[in-house]
This record gives sequence, structure tokens and C-alpha cells, in this order.
Amino acid sequence: MAGEGPARGGAGRGSRAGAARGPDAPGVSAGAGGGGCPAGGNDLQWCFSQVKGAIDEDVAEADIISTVEFNYSGDLLATGDKGGRVVIFQREQENKGRPHSRGEYNVYSTFQSHEPEFDYLKSLEIEEKINKIRWLPQQNAAHFLLSTNDKTIKLWKISERDKRAEGYNLKDEDGRLRDPFRITALRVPILKPMDLMVEASPRRIFANAHTYHINSISVNSDHETYLSADDLRINLWHLEITDRSFNIVDIKPVNMEELTEVITAAEFHPHQCNVFVYSSSKGTIRLCDMRSSALCDRHAKFFEEPEDPSSRSFFSEIISSISDVKFSHSGRYMMTRDYLSVKVWDLNMESRPVETHQVHEYLRSKLCSLYENDCIFDKFECCWSGSDSAIMTGSYNNFFRMFDRNTRRDVTLEASRENSKPRASLKPRKVCTGGKRKKDEISVDSLDFNKKILHTAWHPAENIIAVAATNNLYIFQDKLN
Amino acid sequence: MEFKLEAHRIVSISLGKIYNSRVQRGGIKLHKNLLVSLVLRSARQVYLSDPCPGLYLAGPAGSPAMPPPPPQQQQPGEPAAGPPAGWGEPPPPPPPARAAWPEPEPQPERPAAPVTGAGDAPRGGEVEAAEAAWRRVEGAREAAEGGAAGPAGGSDGFPEGPRGTRRQCGCPPGAEDRPGAPGACPRLACCCAPRPAEDEPPAPPAVGPRKRGAAGVGGGPAGGPASGSSPLKKPRRNSEEQPGGAAAAAAEEEMETGNVANLISIFGSSFSGLLRKSPGGGREEAEGEESGAEAAEPGQICCDKPVLRDMNPWSTAIVAF
Repeated sequence: MAGEGPARGGAGRGSRAGAARGPDAPGVSAGAGGGGCPAGGNDLQWCFSQVKGAIDEDVAEADIISTVEFNYSGDLLATGDKGGRVVIFQREQENKGRPHSRGEYNVYSTFQSHEPEFDYLKSLEIEEKINKIRWLPQQNAAHFLLSTNDKTIKLWKISERDKRAEGYNLKDEDGRLRDPFRITALRVPILKPMDLMVEASPRRIFANAHTYHINSISVNSDHETYLSADDLRINLWHLEITDRSFNIVDIKPVNMEELTEVITAAEFHPHQCNVFVYSSSKGTIRLCDMRSSALCDRHAKFFEEPEDPSSRSFFSEIISSISDVKFSHSGRYMMTRDYLSVKVWDLNMESRPVETHQVHEYLRSKLCSLYENDCIFDKFECCWSGSDSAIMTGSYNNFFRMFDRNTRRDVTLEASRENSKPRASLKPRKVCTGGKRKKDEISVDSLDFNKKILHTAWHPAENIIAVAATNNLYIFQDKLN
Repeated sequence: MEFKLEAHRIVSISLGKIYNSRVQRGGIKLHKNLLVSLVLRSARQVYLSDPCPGLYLAGPAGSPAMPPPPPQQQQPGEPAAGPPAGWGEPPPPPPPARAAWPEPEPQPERPAAPVTGAGDAPRGGEVEAAEAAWRRVEGAREAAEGGAAGPAGGSDGFPEGPRGTRRQCGCPPGAEDRPGAPGACPRLACCCAPRPAEDEPPAPPAVGPRKRGAAGVGGGPAGGPASGSSPLKKPRRNSEEQPGGAAAAAAEEEMETGNVANLISIFGSSFSGLLRKSPGGGREEAEGEESGAEAAEPGQICCDKPVLRDMNPWSTAIVAF
């Protein structure tokens, strides 16, 4: 967190490691600019910071962003797209002339992570779309991340080169080999500075371990292993070993005709390296402990909220399918996202969530149309703020929603080019659900379902958020006092 | 009644999605197809449970195709009288369910009028039209498998889908749901009355070219109604020859590509299988079975198994996803 005041950075990290409620509020305000800001995510004033991506109305499918992830320090922001490319943004050092302005994110590295492949045996094309990116904690000057498509996970090393050696003996400056017999004197090559070059190189390729489509990867807190989950199986890998992985969950029935649920997301616990959770298409979450057995088909905890029978419809099963599960930074809570809501669960209580937040309940009556146009299958992600006091998730019409867990307030904001003046405040949006439409409200039928925000990320320590709207990446920050 | 329309529409949309998933880039998405099959099952449940028997009782078993199925349907129905748990839950009581379900949305392509109060005379023709429509469905599916068809628009491509599913789904649960009224009435209820008249107009133009493109299959049945079972057999068998071989060569842990075919063929096989007890849907199902080697004659087993084992091939087919 280059250039940030030590107090802010320290407070942010401290509160993140602590409890998730109450005491975090000061942490949030500390992150927001050194006090003076009342507690709670919604007393923050979000304003536009940057937008990345083309302005064209015609969006190339390959440019659609499919994953967004901050690294552990928040200095790097990675995005993956449907074309298999990864773009990494780096936060600039703060400008000494303007000490209160936050650093901007600029492109640091771009590389092609995955290419389309063809499985000849099954006559299936394997999409190059990046499903997930996960950073590894930084251990030296280089940065490492895992990126995955449907079938293959790759470990990429991103390193900087700002010097080059000159004065070789056996080759001259052009690179041509010199005739050894012509050499009359020896010299020691010296390092000369050069323009910064950022190189990305694939260091490991973890392939051929998944029959079904990979939906999640998660780095363990031991920083040595990680898991990858597909529809029916979860595998455990060691970062150094690519030719073997351990299968730790297998829910494939012997007879595929008896299949009733699939795995939709999985994540390691942030502190306990033996614990992970996985969510299912039936709306349940299973917490597993790897110490109990090699194959964790039997869960240690089973989280399920009983269905409300009065709200049953044709689409009850689809909308209860969990699209994302995320542990809080504290490790005490986890959050799940299904089609219409986000739920916060206390790991100690399996019977029901401790909080349920409606994201876009007005869509409940439109489920049939959403089924027809396939929107009901959209997989929204969710994320925690650095202090766990607020949660965020996306919706349609380029809206995204934030819920403050302390003040119980929520807000709907929009990522749009119209609101993209520097440091322009975001105005809360409202969807009119029926009856008379007030000014500034938008009616449900006017929502643009092609503009969906599926991927969002929150800086691990500060109130900076990255929101992916189709092919554009918006970065918002809270207004400093 | 509205809910039957809604259910019917959802069934057709679902089938379209399953169909389209075969041509999507990246292969079949297991999760999405599982969800679609669950919706399909719910819609079917509603469709069968919505109690409007009065509408369908009028009208004789007019066509020659009519009489054979009901007695045969009864057979598999009875032995499996104790259905497995998955299918055993009673349909939700209509009043609260209606409150929860979305309002039926306008269906521009289907005039609703013929559904109610159709007279006796059209019934026979309707049945045959329904059968013809079912053959078109099959032909369309073969087209997809053979790769000959481009991606078919979901709702466009499958106006016939529900007709086909309707007829097959009507029969076994007909025995289950109305045990006291075996015979023509439930059969009629499930298979003939509501749709055929309204489906006739949109169906032929939509499906014809695709079917011809597929394998030269069934140019015959596409246009005209024919007497029930035999024309039903031929086009499917013919077209199966082509994709079946290639598909059967798929690896054992394929991404359940075959289950799509499995699902759709089961719609037909449990009906046509009952008619003739021969591997009509066999080739397709062989490719879909995980343990393809389990049957010396996969077709035969696959035809009988879903029908006899579960009583409800739908459930088998659907959870096959």
C-alpha cells in the first residue's frame, strides 16, 4: 500500500483480522480517510474514479470481463476476459503534490493466459474464457497468480525487468556471436537500466484433472496448496506439483441418472488450512474438514435454509442455486449468493443464515421471462469489504448493490459512462416496483438485462471497488473528507 | 387452466434450451442442463396435476393410433405402482401454487381458443397432427445430432416439443394420477386435446427445412398425419443410424452429451417403445448411458428400463442430466 498513511493501513489490516461486527466500524472509517467519517459502508459517498475498456457500443464477445480480483495488498488488480486474456492494473504511487488523492490504477501487464482448445476425443471445444483468477501471497519481487478456464489451471509469474546486462564477451550488442579467436580481452558485463518491462510467464500448468467445467479455484492459507472445483469433483493441488492432484470431494453418482445436484463454488477457509466449503445447485453449503478423512464426501457441517413453501414456483430450484460463496476476512462468516438474494451465514449455525439481503426481489415475478432469455442462469458473485462490515454484489442494468451489515442500510448504484466524471459522486438508484413511478426511478420493465454486473471486487483494506460491466471495468472510491 | 398453458410453454422452452445446449461452444454445461431438467419436471408435474378433466373428456379416440397405447400404458404403470420417492410427491394443491406462480404471459404464437371446447370432430385429426408433430421433433433432434442443423432458435424450433412430451408424459402418469379412469380419457387428456389445432399452423414451416436437412429423414411424416406408430418408428430409426455410430464412440466419461439425446429420446421411446417394444430410441440411449456396455442390446434395455423401472421415464431422463 505504497504511500498510504501508516495509520490507515494499519487500522485497516487490524480490523480485518479481528471480529466482523461492531468494532470494525472504526476500521472502516479509518480506511475512509482518517476519521471523521461515520461508521458504516453507506455513509460513505462513492464516487467515480476510473473506467477501463472500450466505449464502443459494439462489444466484442472476447472483451467481456469474466473475473476481477485484487491481490493481497490491493496494489494489483487483475481481470480475465472471455478471450482468455489477463490484464493486470497496478496502483500508482501517490502523487506527492496531491497527498489526499488516491493512486490510479494503470495497466501493468497484459498477456494471453488461455487459448481455445479442442478435445478430439469428445469432439468438444474448450473455451478459453478465464473463469477465475486468484492471486498468491507475495513472497518475493515477483507476483504470482492462478488463472483457470474450464479445464486447465495455470500459474503465472509476473516479474519486472528494469535492467539489462551489457558487455558480453561472446556476443556483441546485436546479439551476434563473436568469434572466440578474435577476442583479445575479457570484460565483465555490467547492468544498465532500461525501460521497465513486465513479463508474464507460465510457471506451472495443471491440466487433465477435471472432466467437468471448473468453476472455482481457491488458494489455501498454507500458501502451498490450492483447490479446484468442477461440477462434481474438487481436487487438491500442490503448487509445485503438476502431474498429480488429490480428489477430495466427489459427488458424482454411480448412475448419472440419479444426479440431482452439482457443485457451484468452493473456497478454502482464510485461516484454517484444513477447512473448506462448497456450495451446491440446491442452495446448500457443506463445510468439510480435511483432517477427518482423505475423501471429504461427508461434510462436517451442512448449511441449509428451509425453503419457504409459499414461494414455490417452477423456478424455485434455479433461483436457490448458489452462484458464489465467500468467507469473510475474519473467517467467522461466509456469504452466499443465489439469484435473488445474498445470505450471510455464521459458521457456527447451520440451520439458517444470520442475514438475508434481497438484491432484486422485484424480479421474482419476472422469473419466467428471465428463464426464457437465460438471465436466470446468470452467476452473480459477491464480495466482502476489507473490514467485513459491508457486502456488495451486482445486478442488472449495470446496477450493483451494497449492504452495510452494521447500519442495515443498503444502496443501489450504477456503473455507467454518464456518471464518469472524475470524482463525481454516485447517486443512489431506485427501481420502481409497481404503481406510480417517481422521478428518477426506473421501472422494472425498463431494466436492461444485457447490462449485468456479475463480477465485483473490493480492495482488501481500503474502500476502493472494482466493478466489471460487460467489457468495461469501473473503479470507484469513497470520497475523502 | 392458465397454469397448464404456462407449464406447457415452459416445457417447450426447456426443451429448446436442452436442444440448443448441444451446439453451444464449450460443450454441454452440466449445471445449466440440470436446472433446466428440474424446471421441465416441475412444469410437467403442474401440467399433469392441474385438474381440468372436463375439457378433455369430450371426444372419442378417433385415430387408429389412439387405442393401442392406453392398454399398454397401463401395464408399466401398474407394476411400478409404488413409485420411487423422487417422483412420489403429490402435486402442489392448486390454490396456493397458483398464487405463487408467475402470471401466464401472452403467447403470441399460440391462439388460446382451440384449447377450450374443441368439438369431437377435430379430435381425431388432432391426434394425428400431434403425432406428426412429434415426429418432427424427433427429426429436428436428429438434425442436431448429425450436426446438420444450425443452432435452432429455442422457442422457434420447438413449438412441437411440448406436443411430443405431452403425449408421452400423459400416458404413464395418466394411469397414476387417475387410477379410477383408465383408458381413453386420460390418454386423451394428456395427449391430444389442448394443442394440436393451434400448433398446426406454426409448426410445419418452422420444422420442415430443418428436418429435411438432417438426414433426409421423414420428409414424409413432416407434412401429413399418418397412422400412429409405424411412421413414428421409421424416421427416428433412420436418422439414428448416422449420429448414433459417431456418438456411441464417445468416451466413457463424456460430458453427458448423450444424456441430451437420452432425455429427448426417452420422451419418445417410452411411448414408441411401448408400441413396439423394439430399440427405437436405442442407439441414442446407448451413447448416453454411462455404462454403455451394460446391455448387449442397449436399445432394448434402454427402452424397457426407463419405462419399467421407474414408471416415470421422465424422472429418469430428467435426472439423467
